[in-house]
Amino acid sequence: MSTYKVRAGDGRFISMTADEIRRDLIEGSEDAADRGGIPPLEENEIDRLLDLFLDQAGVVGVQIGNQVVSTQDGGDHRINADAGSCGLALAIGRIQELHLHERAFGQDTIELGHIDYSYKAVRPIVAQEQSYVEHALLTTTSPLMYGAMPNLGLYYAPDGPYANPSDLLPAGKVKEALAAQEEASLHAQRDIVYVGTRLADSGLDAMNLDTSGSAGDADFLASLNAAEELKAKRPDLGIEMGMASEFVLGMHGRLSYKGERLAGMYPHDQVRMAEAAGVDVFGPVVNTNTRRSTPWNVARAVCFVKACVQAANIPIHANVGMGVGGIPVLDTPSLDAVSRASVAMVEIARVDGL
Amino acid sequence: MTEQELLSAATEAVVAANEEKACEVAREAVSLGLDPLRVINEGFTPGMREVGDLFERGTMFLPEVILASEAMVAAVAILEESLPADQREKTAGSVVLGTIEGDVHDIGKGIVATLLRVYGFEVHDLGRDVPLTSFVEKVAETGADLVGTSALMTTTMVGQKALEKMLKEAGLRDQVKTMVGGAVVTQYWADKIGADAYAENAQEAVAKALELAQG
Repeated sequence: MSTYKVRAGDGRFISMTADEIRRDLIEGSEDAADRGGIPPLEENEIDRLLDLFLDQAGVVGVQIGNQVVSTQDGGDHRINADAGSCGLALAIGRIQELHLHERAFGQDTIELGHIDYSYKAVRPIVAQEQSYVEHALLTTTSPLMYGAMPNLGLYYAPDGPYANPSDLLPAGKVKEALAAQEEASLHAQRDIVYVGTRLADSGLDAMNLDTSGSAGDADFLASLNAAEELKAKRPDLGIEMGMASEFVLGMHGRLSYKGERLAGMYPHDQVRMAEAAGVDVFGPVVNTNTRRSTPWNVARAVCFVKACVQAANIPIHANVGMGVGGIPVLDTPSLDAVSRASVAMVEIARVDGL
Repeated sequence: MTEQELLSAATEAVVAANEEKACEVAREAVSLGLDPLRVINEGFTPGMREVGDLFERGTMFLPEVILASEAMVAAVAILEESLPADQREKTAGSVVLGTIEGDVHDIGKGIVATLLRVYGFEVHDLGRDVPLTSFVEKVAETGADLVGTSALMTTTMVGQKALEKMLKEAGLRDQVKTMVGGAVVTQYWADKIGADAYAENAQEAVAKALELAQG
């Protein structure tokens, strides 16, 4: 029986028959449907995904006219920095990196960001970041975003002023752990709003609240409250909210926004919260299971994102990168997997951008 | 209350994370002269299993899991008082746990530590950015059954491989099972470095730890 090369979730090539690929596609879709309480993919959608994986071309693409915009996150240090596991360490400056993204790579938005990529770290040096925003605006034409993470982890000991829930919870100090998260969430909100208003005053087009929810529901709440406050203070400032994972972890468990409990929310509910906060573009994340095949992961990711798109009234730019959106966990995401996941997101999930 | 009703009440008290109710059920079981081990195994333990399932499904969250665990521990303590010393519950095993040197991500590791305690393990949580020598020293000091390491970066996961070597050099590798996890860690990596187990998430880490500790 003929076999086809596909990637496993950890990036290795594996061989599967067409029947095995179809089975994984159905199981991936059903897993998302079961967890998220959403409909599984339709049979014709499974058929289209099967076509994508049976096509053994190195790269696949969408039909002319079906292209979508691409927004870039991660700041301006992908090319000029070496973060150990990513980055090229080319000897160019931050503004030159933006020029490369805009003029060589054809990104539809460009993004500045501090190397630490956390709003807390940006607050004390925001004046310097303002000057970078102003210099970038003078020499680029693409919408300029500023990206960083709420990163609540930086607000807990030993890096911040609040006791660490990761220490308190295992010790059974539940009340203290909940209080620490509530305080840290408010602190992060203040930092994001401070940085956002200062950068907006320098002419910034949009903020990216990236990896929202990475430290759980208090982290997501900080992003939502900050977005709402920023929109009230600077209505012309665009806000993109990118998530950290498909599921809002209940590190607190009882936090709510607009009367809805945040813990346990999947992308189709997360986007409703983001909209209510005034967010303009939402970036759902679906995590990759390294032990399942790329067909399983892509079908699962597309199923979640399709439900998110259907629930949304704002543009959806799905995250497709290392370990998310069906892409294997590899330092440099493989083009065969990235292009298949991207086509599936556009044609089946009907995303507005990537 | 019949015996069956009491067992159901024990399960419900744990799922509701209601320590007061769980203790009340335990006291009633003792006063009725019921077999304490049966009440633990068929009443309270299924409740904790259901809590684990609800956590896995994303409908119950870490603080609630801890409260449920405390309810169970308090109830079991009451029941154990009427058991002979040799039948009292022993720990499921001893685990040395930490985020590998150079890596400061500890939320996932903290969840694993919590759930391991919930399931009866004695956990020596060394924290984050833990020097490899500290893992070796703690294993030697405690005679732990398992050592679990978490890595969230490709630059730090190599420490898990180095730890395997250091445990061998210290003559401890045959006495301790190794478990690895973290966002960038995979089954393939675990196999490659010779770790005994890999877990995708906290619930699976507990299942693997129970399997290794019993094995």
